[in-house]
Amino acid sequence: MTPLLELKNVDVRYGRIEAIRDMSFAVNEGEIVSLIGANGAGKSTTMKTISGILNPHSGSIHFEGEDITKMKAHIRVVRGISQAPEGRGVFPGMTVMENLDMGSYGRKDRSGMKADFERVFALFPRLAERKSQMGGTMSGGEQQMLAIGRALMSAPRMLLLDEPSMGLAPQFIKQIFSIISEINQQGTTILLVEQNANQALARADRGFVLETGSITHRGTGKELLTNPAVKEAYLGIG
Amino acid sequence: MSTTDGPTLIPDAESAKDQIDRETARGTHTKSGRLQVFGEWWNRRTRPQQWALLLIVVALAYMLPIINPPIITTEPGNDWPIACFQMALYALVAVGLNVVVGYAGLLDLGYVAFFAVGSYTAASLTSPDSTFLHIPYLWTVPVAMAVTMFFGVVLGVPTLRLRGDYLAIVTLGFGEIVRILATIIPAFKGQVGFQNVGHPPGGTAANPIFSNSNGTPWYWLVLTIIILVLLLVGNLERSRVGRAWVAIREDEDAAEIMGVPVFKYKVWAFAIGAAIGGLSGSLAAGQVGFVNNQKFDIVTSMLFLAAVVLGGAGNKVGAIIGGVIVAYLPLRFTAIAPYKYLIFGLALVIIMIFRARGILSARQKLLAYGSSSYERVTPNNEQPNASEPTA
Repeated sequence: MTPLLELKNVDVRYGRIEAIRDMSFAVNEGEIVSLIGANGAGKSTTMKTISGILNPHSGSIHFEGEDITKMKAHIRVVRGISQAPEGRGVFPGMTVMENLDMGSYGRKDRSGMKADFERVFALFPRLAERKSQMGGTMSGGEQQMLAIGRALMSAPRMLLLDEPSMGLAPQFIKQIFSIISEINQQGTTILLVEQNANQALARADRGFVLETGSITHRGTGKELLTNPAVKEAYLGIG
Repeated sequence: MSTTDGPTLIPDAESAKDQIDRETARGTHTKSGRLQVFGEWWNRRTRPQQWALLLIVVALAYMLPIINPPIITTEPGNDWPIACFQMALYALVAVGLNVVVGYAGLLDLGYVAFFAVGSYTAASLTSPDSTFLHIPYLWTVPVAMAVTMFFGVVLGVPTLRLRGDYLAIVTLGFGEIVRILATIIPAFKGQVGFQNVGHPPGGTAANPIFSNSNGTPWYWLVLTIIILVLLLVGNLERSRVGRAWVAIREDEDAAEIMGVPVFKYKVWAFAIGAAIGGLSGSLAAGQVGFVNNQKFDIVTSMLFLAAVVLGGAGNKVGAIIGGVIVAYLPLRFTAIAPYKYLIFGLALVIIMIFRARGILSARQKLLAYGSSSYERVTPNNEQPNASEPTA
């Protein structure tokens, strides 16, 4: 079976600085895969490279077996890769409805869009309550919900989540992660980038540990959770 | 919806919309007061009612040079119909610049360059002083738009990959380049300039309808063009293009990952803005009847930008108001005219402190498509299920 997403020997550079070195990994249809790592390990760079905001210096990216290395970001969305960016990237001057509406920008099928509005409101009742509120005036947790909801509005096959737990209260983090599992059960493949390794690995089918631009550990979520090296470095248990 | 209100049942989409409108108005009430109330009232009118009211406003606008209202008039200092023309011209420029700065959020500090290109196109194709091909004046208007649009794309394609400050600096440079080229290229005749620029047909050769000294027909012409441009821009604003622009203005990266072809729409904004700038330039050249290398300096660019920011970037009606104010004040109060830059500078500072989004903010416009997308989903989803508080 061809994996849904595959990175082959990807190098990403900011000028002369190598942010990602020779990275290869694959995500299969239906999985939740977590990328964990410390600040500056290259997690967000990996995400931006997959969504197309950054271009790799070398290597290739394949989606459903097709080489998308040169494909523009806005076309990747239509193909089914959708991202909830780090720091949420909610449009501050647009209402919740308008933000969600923007999420479906690349789509033409009205009926499918309507179904997805309903799906998002079912996942996040809070967003339904705040339909007419400005994105910029919502709390961090609500903005995160909005960012995820908005990413779902393009009916993605693959959802990229960049640090969904960043800056959220512990109780909220739990909620976000359980919603992520729910989205996955509804059939969306998820690639998750997290510093909150505990939650991210517990939910993941597989995981990768990123250190200074390379993958140092890989395995199932459970394996990584019990791996002594990972435990010491990321789980605060040693 | 405030959480203290408890669950609110919303029976149908129409009242849901009203509710939203009311709440939006309530939310910003303290800041914008009466204008907001008016906006709210306006949004509650039906479409035909809005059209009828607009028709009255338009009719009054057409009468303006004839009524010559006391106190408001710029006479005896300045001829009133010509002052009307200038106000309309600035309004048109502001509408064009608003597409670039207001909608797409691209800071263009050299907009006067497009105005200049438009003026020079009209002048060099109609003035007897020119060595170029001669065509009837009215033909120069679309030609000027096409030429400036071309310049807009040529400038936009390499520079719109830049962001914010960088783009502003490049456009500033472009403005100067155009002005200097007009000075040093002999065919454009520097300070000597082009006399007897053409005008639209009508009247006798000795006594044309569109004469340089009679502002009224020119004003009517520009006003008509403004209305056409507004219809066009208004449609763009409500279309996918408009939504893309707003998204780009709010967050470029987020727009891109929503599936918006950011670069393409930035170039479009630039090109459309440029074309409107060129259009205004060609009209100015026709009315004044003379074009030389003066008046196309950075300061004029700033004045255009001031009109947009003053009126409210992102709001086309705001841009018109801003343009009219910027043109009107120095004409009406001739004593302060020499200090106009000082005064507009101060006005901008004050506006930024007390009303950072300009006289009319862009918000009203966004609400329009907010409620339309709301309608799109509400029929089957009328129950905003007030769930238990989550955070």
